[in-house]
Amino acid sequence: MKWRFAGCVAVAVTALAGPALAHHSAAGIDRSKSVTLVGTVRQFGWTNPHSWMEVDVPADAGGMVTWKVEMTSPAFLVRAGWKSTTVKPGDRVSVVVRPLRSGDPGGLFVSVTLPTGQVLGERAVLPAPAPAPTP
Amino acid sequence: MKNVLTAAVLMLAATTVSAQAPPGAAAVEPELGVLAPSNLAKPRPKAPFNLTGTWFVDLNFPGSWRFGPPYPKLTPAAQVHFDASRKAQAEGKVYRDDIGQCWPAGVPLIMTRVWSIAMVQLPTVVYMVSGFMNSLRIVNMDGRPHTDPDLVVRSFNGDSIGRWEGDALVVDTTGFIDHHHWIDSGVPASDALPIVERIRLVGPNGTKLQIEYTMTDPKSWEGEWKVTKQWNRVDSRDMEIAEVVCLPDLNSHIPSTQSKENIR
Repeated sequence: MKWRFAGCVAVAVTALAGPALAHHSAAGIDRSKSVTLVGTVRQFGWTNPHSWMEVDVPADAGGMVTWKVEMTSPAFLVRAGWKSTTVKPGDRVSVVVRPLRSGDPGGLFVSVTLPTGQVLGERAVLPAPAPAPTP
Repeated sequence: MKNVLTAAVLMLAATTVSAQAPPGAAAVEPELGVLAPSNLAKPRPKAPFNLTGTWFVDLNFPGSWRFGPPYPKLTPAAQVHFDASRKAQAEGKVYRDDIGQCWPAGVPLIMTRVWSIAMVQLPTVVYMVSGFMNSLRIVNMDGRPHTDPDLVVRSFNGDSIGRWEGDALVVDTTGFIDHHHWIDSGVPASDALPIVERIRLVGPNGTKLQIEYTMTDPKSWEGEWKVTKQWNRVDSRDMEIAEVVCLPDLNSHIPSTQSKENIR
């Protein structure tokens, strides 16, 4: 397969990354590994509670493998600089994910390199608490 | 002519009365809903604070968004789930992740889902709507008792009654549903669970909200389980709640909820 393991590059996953995806447990994700997918966007879903992306990646044996990439909610993506139009079907991208432990072609989104060369993540930024009202 | 009209009015009145109550029975005033203007207008002591606003769980507060560890001593029935959960976790697997399969998180977990919660306080009721799945909590404050146990429709967020007690809003919740409802991974909630929440505003000018939970569930653990959580008031527009629903076709795109490694 053309996608390659980036090895155990221990890119620190912030403590917030887990709960920010608080739809469900992420125990099936191997956070010790990164996989870089170089391929073509098949679909992109700008949806709640999770956005998602499907990326067609050429397989060594020929044909394509479709990777399912799980992302956080649009509200958090907007904080990281995303728009609903940031990626679209047909875009050539490079996507870094934390892969599923099962070995199935799927994983948790870390970052994308867009056709323009721009790199976007989904760093979950804590919302600013309301300032105390002045007396 | 006048006599005819009088007779007609009397007949109409008799018909109306007979439609409302059986012969011989006293007419019963319908109980007022929490949004009935006359219920809202009833004289009540001034509320010590107003929860109305948007709140976001404080991830820097001890315990953050999880309910445990520590855990109370579990019953043998609950311990089976807990042990299976920890075994799965050690193997990098997901155990009974019902929320990932679109089951409601339920109280108390819905309160710490790392999504904004919109709260609207009226004299008779507090509505809490989580940004996660738009889960609705209704805390009735108009003096009514809990719903008759023979009539209550069990639910994931339960039947909540609130009252003011000093500087706290005390919310007593019963009537929980007993399946696919978890306090934490491997810790089941049963239909014997009541939860008492002491809600207070703390911090400078009430910009932080604390809830002290006291949970008892003799089917799942021994004694009282006390946990305190904190939320920050968030006022910016981008923290408002929005429509969020869990859909089967969405889940088909979310690999970690679909993995064959998950233990259902």
